[in-house]
Amino acid sequence: MKSLVTACAAIALLAGCTVAQSAITTSEAATAEKFDLNGVWKVSSDAYYDLEGHAAKPAMQTIEGPYGPVPDRRVLALGAIGAVPANESVVSTGTIPYTPEALEMREDNAKNWITKDPNIKCYQPGVPRATYMPFPFRIIMNEEQGQMLIAYEYAGAVRNVFLGDDPGEAPLDSWMGQSWGYWDGDSFVIEVKYQNGETWLDRAGNYLPYGAEVVERYTPIDANHVRYTATVTEPETFTEPFTISLILYRQIEEDAQILDFNCVAFVEELLHGQLRKKPLQEPIK
Amino acid sequence: MRSLLKACLTASASLMILSAPVAMAQDAPSGSLEKWDPNYEPPRMPDGTPSFDGVWSKASLTVLERTPQFDGLEISPAVATAIESGREKAMEASNRPSDPNAGAPKAGDDPGGYNTFWMDPGTKFGVVNGEIRSSWIVEPADGKIPYSEAGQAEMEASRKAMRETFDDPEVRSAGERCTVGFGSTGAPPMLNVLYNNHLQFFQSPEVVSILVEMNHNARMVRMGEGFRENAMHQWLGDSVGKWDGDTLVVTTTNFHPHNSIRTAIRHTVYLQPDSVVEERFTRVSDDTILYEFTVTDPDLFTQPWKGELPLWKTDGPIYEYACHEGNHALPGILAGARRKEADAAKSASSGSK
Repeated sequence: MKSLVTACAAIALLAGCTVAQSAITTSEAATAEKFDLNGVWKVSSDAYYDLEGHAAKPAMQTIEGPYGPVPDRRVLALGAIGAVPANESVVSTGTIPYTPEALEMREDNAKNWITKDPNIKCYQPGVPRATYMPFPFRIIMNEEQGQMLIAYEYAGAVRNVFLGDDPGEAPLDSWMGQSWGYWDGDSFVIEVKYQNGETWLDRAGNYLPYGAEVVERYTPIDANHVRYTATVTEPETFTEPFTISLILYRQIEEDAQILDFNCVAFVEELLHGQLRKKPLQEPIK
Repeated sequence: MRSLLKACLTASASLMILSAPVAMAQDAPSGSLEKWDPNYEPPRMPDGTPSFDGVWSKASLTVLERTPQFDGLEISPAVATAIESGREKAMEASNRPSDPNAGAPKAGDDPGGYNTFWMDPGTKFGVVNGEIRSSWIVEPADGKIPYSEAGQAEMEASRKAMRETFDDPEVRSAGERCTVGFGSTGAPPMLNVLYNNHLQFFQSPEVVSILVEMNHNARMVRMGEGFRENAMHQWLGDSVGKWDGDTLVVTTTNFHPHNSIRTAIRHTVYLQPDSVVEERFTRVSDDTILYEFTVTDPDLFTQPWKGELPLWKTDGPIYEYACHEGNHALPGILAGARRKEADAAKSASSGSK
């Protein structure tokens, strides 16, 4: 019950729901014709670089130059391809409402992005970051069978979403957390808890602390567009809940699929290249 | 009980060299000795196709290839019971707490890997339509993979390279690398291994997804589609499906070349990227799916070979198997090899003086 109240409190701040509204059961939801979430989806936003509003800049990792930041040597060879496009903020509060101590952590993350971002090592991205990375994901949902899978192309990450009753406390924390989904009117809501606190929210050092609760809402706009919001609550890190808001686009190409992006193999040179019998290149310093 | 096991495995999923192939009693048997009802009516999806809803296990004492102790496909109940009982006692003995006063092993000795608490290979032999099976392979009749001479040589060379070469990460096994689960647990033919033998189906008319526990791989079976170009290698292969009555038929090829050698303690399978595996999934009872597979590759095998195994329904969800994120083993293996080389060089240098 505590989880439900907490989740709804977070939703209520931004979506105007009440506890009673949030407590819609699956039996009630089953009586209404619901939007079909089955399919392949993807965002069309550069917010994965930085959820907060930002101007374009020369690279994710920079050093101070005489007239402003220039690319760090570790990404210098990428040239314009390594540059960061501008994006408006997708956060309800404009900037993420960190406590002062948490903001220091974010700044340290940003300063050391190239060594600290867990995605660089192909670690599973967590929620909500998995949603708005530049990779598609597939939803397979059959409420009658109690089945819901969200499979992300990136790193082959998956979420097995509990439908029906609250699954309660997860037996352990995990990279993708525990997901519990239910309908709230026209919106499909997924409460995500028990993530392990090792994941980030974007490439700018914004992070998801241990114990954070994420409430996602998938609200249809039309047959091929869904408003996606993710409200993040963790009072020791954030002074108030904040909501990330993006549009999901159904991939309507006839052959739209998710394919392998098994980046585990792609990062072996980064992680283990210097342990080869004959290293192929000088270590990155 | 399984939740604790999976929790711990998930939290520390780095792979180690396993040295104790002993069963751990964790789950239910692989099937009853009753014949399946040929008129069984499966639960159905909204589109009328059979539902495979649920979490299924392939954990079993039955192995892919027949071992010399058995002279046929079928095992008698008395023999099966005796072996299962013996395995259970061995497990209990092996699973006793270690002696805290035993001290550290001598330098250079094998410290071992997981103890049996971490293992979940099953406690019973597989039962197919009332028959207790000694091997999953039913064709050829000897229960062995029918490698051709060239195929046998290729398999052995690949296995030898994987076992004895530590020069680069890419030559290590898929399990050590955490690219996919080891021993062909995820890619077809999906085989039972030492632990994490669970899978789950998610069905839609366009795609049937088979989520395998290790390593959180969701194979997407595209229904009614053709194969992609063979340049599009996928780690678990490119799978297309169709319905043959109430049987889901999945055909897979275009395997990633790094997933050719698939080793486990109890079996080794070698396929090429263009090998073809046909799988047939038929729900034969509320708690059993008959899983049949046929592997075809005239470059490797003298004939197609066919297997049958029961997938049995089990309770509880599949937990996240986060292998790569906790993989301390692969850098340890490589660093150990470099240390061994350095020590050998140092020894040779001092010996030559």
